[in-house]
Amino acid sequence: MEVEIIFKIAAIGLLTAIVGQILKQAGKDEISTLATMAGLIIVLIMVLNLIADLFVTLKTIFNF
Amino acid sequence: MDIIFKIIAIGLITCIATIIIKPIRSDFSIIIAIVGGLIIIFMIVNYLTDVFDSFKSIINLTGLNSELYKILLKIIGVGYLIEFTVGICSDTGNSSLGDKVLLGGKIIIMVMALPIITTILQIIMELLPT
Repeated sequence: MEVEIIFKIAAIGLLTAIVGQILKQAGKDEISTLATMAGLIIVLIMVLNLIADLFVTLKTIFNF
Repeated sequence: MDIIFKIIAIGLITCIATIIIKPIRSDFSIIIAIVGGLIIIFMIVNYLTDVFDSFKSIINLTGLNSELYKILLKIIGVGYLIEFTVGICSDTGNSSLGDKVLLGGKIIIMVMALPIITTILQIIMELLPT
């Protein structure tokens, strides 16, 4: 739960962009789309976990 | 109180990361901004509990009904959450959606505050000579 998750997300973005470009250059457009989508979904799951944590903490603090 | 330097550093790092990522993948830059905001909120949540604990002791000293205090706390929480969500909505370019979230939050706060208003009215009715 620290700053490294920001770097992680940025790194995943860079990696998926590079992989997508390489696959596109190699002529495999459909796999490139899949790789890009997979990166986006991984990051979304990480963010969803964070938001769920936030909701749980706020519920305990504000006695919902 | 050196946590303020941490918060400033996280804000700046998030800004730089979004600027670097934006030309490569613009959808990830928004997610990085959201995560930066979440991390900052997680860091200040502990201080918030301290503030609420001292509020609670003050309320206990005054001898007021603790139900009113709980309602107040919930209203503050709804306000913070709604503000966070509206900020994300307008960051992603959906400011009209943010306005709708704001309207929903206002109505929920209104509904939560109704017991307080009825309590005040009941007190006034008791004070009035019949």
